[in-house]
Amino acid sequence: MRKYMKAEINRHDMILTQMGAKIKIINSYMCYVTFDLDGTEVSYVYNVNKKNKYFLERIEPYPEHAGTFKCEEDVIETIKIDIEQFKNAKKSRVFDLFVDINKEMNKTIRNFEDLYLYYNVPREYANSIKSKIQEIQDIIKTAKENCERVYFKKDPDTL
Amino acid sequence: MLTNSHVYIAAIVFILTYAFIISEKINRTAVALLGAAIMLGLKVISQEYAFESIDFNTIGLLIGMMIIITITKRTGVFQYIAIKSAKLAKGDPWKIILSFSIITAISSALLDNVTTVLLLAPVTLVITDTLNLNPIPFLLPEILSANIGGTATLIGDPPNIMIGSATGLGFLDFLFNLGPVVIVILSVVILILKLIYGKELIVDEEHKKRIMNFDEYKAIKDHSLLKKSLIVLGFTIIGFALHQVFEFESATVALIGASTLLVLSKINPEEVLIELEWTTIFFFAGLFILVGALEEVGIIETIAEKVVFITKGNLFLTTLMIIWVSAIASAFIDNIPFVATMIPLIKSIGSMSNINTTPLWWALALGACLGGNGSLVGASANVIVAGMLEKTKYKLTFIDFIKIGFPIMIVSVLISTIYLIVFYI
Repeated sequence: MRKYMKAEINRHDMILTQMGAKIKIINSYMCYVTFDLDGTEVSYVYNVNKKNKYFLERIEPYPEHAGTFKCEEDVIETIKIDIEQFKNAKKSRVFDLFVDINKEMNKTIRNFEDLYLYYNVPREYANSIKSKIQEIQDIIKTAKENCERVYFKKDPDTL
Repeated sequence: MLTNSHVYIAAIVFILTYAFIISEKINRTAVALLGAAIMLGLKVISQEYAFESIDFNTIGLLIGMMIIITITKRTGVFQYIAIKSAKLAKGDPWKIILSFSIITAISSALLDNVTTVLLLAPVTLVITDTLNLNPIPFLLPEILSANIGGTATLIGDPPNIMIGSATGLGFLDFLFNLGPVVIVILSVVILILKLIYGKELIVDEEHKKRIMNFDEYKAIKDHSLLKKSLIVLGFTIIGFALHQVFEFESATVALIGASTLLVLSKINPEEVLIELEWTTIFFFAGLFILVGALEEVGIIETIAEKVVFITKGNLFLTTLMIIWVSAIASAFIDNIPFVATMIPLIKSIGSMSNINTTPLWWALALGACLGGNGSLVGASANVIVAGMLEKTKYKLTFIDFIKIGFPIMIVSVLISTIYLIVFYI
């Protein structure tokens, strides 16, 4: 199996090198972590390597880049907090809606990228999308002001 | 004190182990190690004898060459050579096949055939993709050339490493005795392939231009490491050529080269050592113990007696038998365990019949290495390429391979047989 992987890497290496890329291949471990929170799967993938950078990504219930960390402890801590927050969020009656919204947002980002990369979009459309995003952000800020805070171990990263 | 039960146990364990290795139901290394462990557990052999049975010259040579290759391939030199050749061929499909076959054969002789295929096949896939051609007419000649080229030298194919280590035949012995016939075989095989694929592959100018747009210099990743690697590789090959003169074992030369390059490259040894084919190394160790057990209980000697009885100690018959049995067997089963068993057998035949065993060693090397071309499962290089093609829209089936590989193997072994008869018998 390792031989096939090496052959595959060699093929990618040649294609990407000819495209002008600089490629650095490092030995690392890829860890898949899965939690079952009362029927809801929350899973992560992260990479452990010797280059002092650990890439963490949540893949379920919706994909999200969770950050780049300098040590494994930070990765574990982030997962720990994330799981605690999901356990908390799971108690909410709107949990499924919350997950759906996140999935839709991710899909919207991809849709927007395709629109931008595949079509010549006039400025008015871009402005319209931007104002809609502003509206969503305003709703989030308003909701934050009016809703009861339920998690205190760590402050929000973006609010 | 060995008893009859030890003989039966050794025979049963050996046959079962080889049956599992051939069936590929369980990982071959795991089975070989378990077989060896059972021989020890049932006291067929002692631990001391088991360790003595392991040919550390073979193991050392394999490890040394693996280290040198692992570091050298990081430089991108193989990609550079492949792109340069494709450009020199101006994108012409047959010229690319020809140049890649020659490169593969030479590289297999100087490194090893599996590594060569692992490095060249991915580049070939990119080139055929660029030319919008079926990669099989390119990859099949590469596999065949890898197995043929590897036959020419002591370090080209694991069976030769084992034979060299067991007999004291050196790098130049292999090169001078097997090199000429390998050149003839390769030329004939290329001619056959030209007849098969020569007119089939047509590419328009636009696709050829795409090949010319490749930049081979982009492939070189580390110029300083490239210089160091090529210098060490060069000295190592010179070392192989002179190892008998200076009374060095071939493993000593490989390990001096490997450790020098490890220091010069300044790469963390952990990163290099993790890349080595440790499963192959342990597979060898397990096989050496298994065969050692057969020797210890006298089974090898008994088989040798039977062979001498059948061939009446006739060199011609024995050589013929060894080359053809080795070739047919190696076409369908792993040639490493086969050769591991044949080595003590040939030694015993030699001591019983007083015939000159040198032609028998060449017969074994030619049969075992060239036999790999007989079927898709005959050599690791074949299996790897078939596996790589699985991910593309093209498939290399057992039947597809055997249609071309088996006749080519028969022709190769026929040429080898004539060569042995004319020059050695």
